[in-house]
Parts: sequence; C-alpha cells; structure tokens
Amino acid sequence: MSQFIQSLVDALSAGAVLGLAALAIGLVFGVIRLANFATGEIITGAGYALVLTWDLGWYVAIPLSILVAVILSLLMELAVFSRMRKAGPATLLIASFGVSFLLQRVYELIFGNNVRSAPVASNLSQSVEVAGIRLQLLSVTAIVLSAILLVLLQLFLTRTTLGLQLQAAAADFTTARLVGIPASRVIGLSFVLSGVLAAAVAFVLTTQSGAVGPTFGVRITVLALVGAVIGGIDKISGALAGGFLVGFASSMLETWLPQGVGNFRDAFVYVLVIVVLLLKPSGLLVRGRGAVRT
Amino acid sequence: MSIDSSTISAVGLHVTGLTVSYNGVPAVRGIDLAVAGGEAVGLIGPNGAGKSSSLLAIMGATARTGAVRINGRDASGLVPEKVVRLGIALVPEGRHVFADLSVKDNLRLGGVARRTKSGAQEAMDKVMDLFPILREFASRPAGLLSGGQQQQLAIGRALMSDPDVLMLDEPSLGLSPTAVDTVFEALAAVRAAGKAVLVVEQRAEFTIAFCDRTYVLHDGVITLSLKPEDAENVQILTEAYFG
Repeated sequence: MSQFIQSLVDALSAGAVLGLAALAIGLVFGVIRLANFATGEIITGAGYALVLTWDLGWYVAIPLSILVAVILSLLMELAVFSRMRKAGPATLLIASFGVSFLLQRVYELIFGNNVRSAPVASNLSQSVEVAGIRLQLLSVTAIVLSAILLVLLQLFLTRTTLGLQLQAAAADFTTARLVGIPASRVIGLSFVLSGVLAAAVAFVLTTQSGAVGPTFGVRITVLALVGAVIGGIDKISGALAGGFLVGFASSMLETWLPQGVGNFRDAFVYVLVIVVLLLKPSGLLVRGRGAVRT
Repeated sequence: MSIDSSTISAVGLHVTGLTVSYNGVPAVRGIDLAVAGGEAVGLIGPNGAGKSSSLLAIMGATARTGAVRINGRDASGLVPEKVVRLGIALVPEGRHVFADLSVKDNLRLGGVARRTKSGAQEAMDKVMDLFPILREFASRPAGLLSGGQQQQLAIGRALMSDPDVLMLDEPSLGLSPTAVDTVFEALAAVRAAGKAVLVVEQRAEFTIAFCDRTYVLHDGVITLSLKPEDAENVQILTEAYFG
C-alpha cells in the first residue's frame, strides 16, 4: 500500500511537471498555431542558468533562470516566428525544429558536450515521512509548485483584462483582433508566460538530475507535445490535462512494469497515445470528434 | 457605380475603389459605398458576390486596395485592432462569441477598443438595457447561449467599443423569426441613436425594407442601389440577382 501511494505521488509529480511543459506549448499554440518544439531549448537554457549560478545563491539563480527563459522565448518570437505570421502550423513547426537544433549546437559550442552540474536545491532530494509513508520531498515540491503556478495563471487569465485578452486570442485569434485586442501584445504575453512555465519545469528537472547538457529539455518537450495533442492543443486546459496524463502514465508504467520491460515504458506511453488519438483525434478535452481528413 | 456625394458626412464610413483579390482572383472589384451617421445601408447579393470580403477588407482583416475612411480618418494600411479604434465595429458572420468565456467577459473584451477609457460600465449597462437577456445570463458561458442570444451578445460586444459605424455580416443567419425581430429592433435603435449601420444579408426583401439604401453586389461589383419602396418589386430583385 505504502509503495502504491509513493508511486502515486511520484506520478502526480511527473504529471504536474509535464502538464506545465504542455501548458507552455499550448499557450503559444492557442494564439499563433505554433507547436514550439524549441520549448525544450528554453528549458535547457533555464537549466544552464540554474547550474552555472547556483553557487551565487538560490535568490540569484532562480530569478536569473526565469529571466533567461523569458528572454530566450521572446527572442525566438522576435527573430524567427514573428517573421512567419502568414505561415501555416506545419511550416511553423518545422521552423521550431530548426530553432531547436540550432540552439542545441549553440549550447554545445558554449558549454561543451559534457553535462554541467551543480547541487541545485539538493535539500529537496531528501525523503519525508507523512503518515508512515516515505515521500520524495522533490515530488511534493513539484506538485505544490505546479499547483501554485496553475492557480496564479488561472487568476491571471480570468481576473485580469490582459488574461481575458489572452484567452480570447487563444480561442479565436481573428475575432479577437476584430474586437480590438492587440495581436502583438497577446502574442508577446503568451511567449513570456511560456518562458516562465519552462523555467519552472527546468527547476524541477535540474533539481532531479543536478546536471544539464545540450539536449536536456528535448525528452520532456517531446512528451509534452504529445500530451498537448492528446489533450487537445487547441484548448489551454486540454494541453495541460494531456500533459498531466502522459506524465502520470509514464511514471506509473516506470514503477509497475515488470523488470526488463520498464525500459520500454515510452513505447507503452505511445501505444496509449495512439489509442487515444484513434478514438478522439481532436483531443480528449475538445468537444466532438473533430475534423477528419479522408 | 459611384456614390452620391451628398451621402458623405464626417461621421460614418466612406469607401472608394475597394478591391480584394484572393490568389490573384478578384472577389471585390473597386466598389464605392458610404454610410452616414443615423443611416442604415444594406449590402445584398448572391453567395460569392464579395459581401463578407468587403466587410473584412474594410476592417483591415484581408489585403485590399482602395480608400477606406472612418469618421473622416484614413484606415489605409491599418491592422484590425487599429481600425476598430477609429470608431467602427464588425459583428462577424457566425457570431464568433468566445464560447468558454462568460457573457460579461465577452462584453468586457468588446470594451478593449474604447476610444475613451471611462464609461465602460455605462456602456455595459446600455448594452444590457438593449438586450436584457444578457443581464440575466451575465455569468453564463457564451457557448451555452442559443443562437439568437449569441447574436445579441455579438452585437452587444461590438457596441461596447462605442463605435460610430456598426457593420453586421448576416445577422439573421440561422435565427428563428422571433430572434431576427429582436436583432433588427435593436439595430433600429442603434440607427436611431445616430450610428451608421452597414448590414450584409441574404434576406433581400427584409433588408431593402429595413435600410435607407441597399446596394446589390454581384460578382464583386455594385450593380444597383435600391430604396425601401423597391422591397416588393420582384422584377428589380430578379434582375439584380440574375442579371
């Protein structure tokens, strides 16, 4: 029983972090139809900022990593995506692959192929005992951090005019502009929020591994993209739920698959994804079956 | 067909030589039209005549050539969110309310483009007086409203920016006769309040009777201008639609 609860908390934690990563992708996709694969490199950039400045104190490293993530996110928008406003989602996705690979090479050139490491928030790697069950402090922290960010984001989206504008633009960008919502403002805002969420993901991952390499953010981004698609990338809540589901399932499979099969957990996750997409191509949280091309 | 210069006023919409093409294929071919404050003008014609393209082009939402002046100010080269701030609003075909947001939040968003920062609450009160159902359902997600209620919300959202020119694309589409009456009664009130109203509609007789002037658009060209008394002249209508 205690092992099951531990694995449940770990899975909730993995789901929460992947949910945040999927949300970072979904926020931008909602506004400009860009499934930004280079979100992984924003996570990597924030991770490097954490490990390289952790010696200066968490109060320097954490704000700096958020700043790096936001700047990277905005730079991508200004330097690349803003010049491709009339391009379709497929072209934008390919462009984001290009940005992703370019940044991986840049990280390689600057920081080398080997990982850079630091004991980022090492006190979170301890276990705590709650009601006789030993839980990873980092898992609990990841859940709490995600919950706080989601509550703040929800308050921002529903209680502020700027948040409402972002929601409207994510739902129907053309109509939002016809109503008078400034396109450049909401696009910029979506990239800023995406950067902040990516920094939060980077914090949890860096604390988990203590090391960052040029492809640090790639795996979680692939899973987050998959999660966003199965949840319904068209809706902010869909991306979040899909990301959570994939993270949760992946962690549970890792714990409960028999020895020797556990290495193939991603394969099982993708089987689950294929089944979901066959049954609900438009995503779990999108009403109706969605358009089907024959 | 050129417009009568006596219809041009500082308040309102003045379009000359409006041309829209999609991939080199012309959809609107150099049309002129004018709508003054306190006036309702209709734009009718068969499917594909260029009616919706004209409205979107006026809003800057699609590439165009020609001159568009709103309240005497040039709208050339402006993006939609800037065009709205000149004092014009469009109620798009299909209503396009923000389904997941509440009625009140939809209206709040309509106020984003207000030219004066004050008065948003008064504007919302006025809209809710015009469409009392919006007050009743203020907290309800817009997607849960009926088609007629959504149309009222879409018009209310457009009025929140306090436009001098209100354009509507097929406001009666898919609505019950009662809902259509509600919508057009509200439009009559908007016109009476001194605003310029430009309506694109499929229901020709109804539009001609309602509007002070109705242009017939055919294959991207205005071929006829009709008065309310032409509403029941079947021969004129037949010629307008079928040549």
